[in-house]
Amino acid sequence: MRAGKKHLDFEINLIPFIDLLSACICFLLLTAVWVQVGSMDVKQAVGGQPASETPKKPTLWVNMGSSGELTLNIQDSKKVPAKLQKLAVKGVDGKMNFAELDVALKELKGLEPELRTALIQPQAQSVYEDMIALMDQFKKQGLVDLGVSPL
Amino acid sequence: MIGSTTVKSSLFTSLATVSILNPKGKREKKSIFADLLLTALIDAFSILVIFLLMSFSSSGDVLLLGKSIELPKAGLGLMLERYPVIKVEDGKLFLEDKEIKEADLVAEMMKLREQFKEMHPQQEYPGIVTIQADRRIKYEQMNSIVVASGNAGFSDIKFAVLMK
Repeated sequence: MRAGKKHLDFEINLIPFIDLLSACICFLLLTAVWVQVGSMDVKQAVGGQPASETPKKPTLWVNMGSSGELTLNIQDSKKVPAKLQKLAVKGVDGKMNFAELDVALKELKGLEPELRTALIQPQAQSVYEDMIALMDQFKKQGLVDLGVSPL
Repeated sequence: MIGSTTVKSSLFTSLATVSILNPKGKREKKSIFADLLLTALIDAFSILVIFLLMSFSSSGDVLLLGKSIELPKAGLGLMLERYPVIKVEDGKLFLEDKEIKEADLVAEMMKLREQFKEMHPQQEYPGIVTIQADRRIKYEQMNSIVVASGNAGFSDIKFAVLMK
């Protein structure tokens, strides 16, 4: 008795697999978060500990002007010469000049590598977006401890 | 190039069935079932699933973004964590989605603090608040929140931003 030749090829039923993948794609597309929300962390620049208890460390105070100008004032630093302790960065077309600010920050960072704290003093008319952009710029230059002062 | 190859191959296939190569001129029966190339489809689906899984966020929504609020953009923001949220929307203040008056902000924040202490007596209150506001608003509108946060003992502020 001769047995029939066994068929060696076999077929996988791909339809359930495609169904599963389609269901997965639909679920993931519906639940996907397309906007990534982060946070810019700051501390209260005024208040908290008494001044006598606060350890002295180089601090950069930044005053935001109404037409984009910035006044940088470095405090508690012995390495930065007196003429560089107060700098002004003029605005361009009513906006902040980030290129010039970058140069000034690099110079200050070069003189005072311990400089990590920047405290922002906005005006009542300062735009929130500009404040965040300024904080972002400070973070890029390694000033990671940020603070904001109330009016 | 591809087009011409297709034309040639189809031409030769059809020629193969006619007199010279197949003198009897017998035509092959055409199958009525169309063959779908499923491998490519499954490949594409798999790549899509992998991409979507990679970008899947398991942390959930920390903030509900309304249409009237457009967050400012930042490149070096940190990951947003769940803390009490103060929202400024259309000139109104919301603490945890509950509309409050500016004068009641400190009291409401103190309540949150007390609630946390009751629920977690062993833990120290972190004193962190998240502020969600439109990118175009002036600082004078946010000043009351900053002051109230300080008065209520919330020394750390997290400004919600969109990551660039």
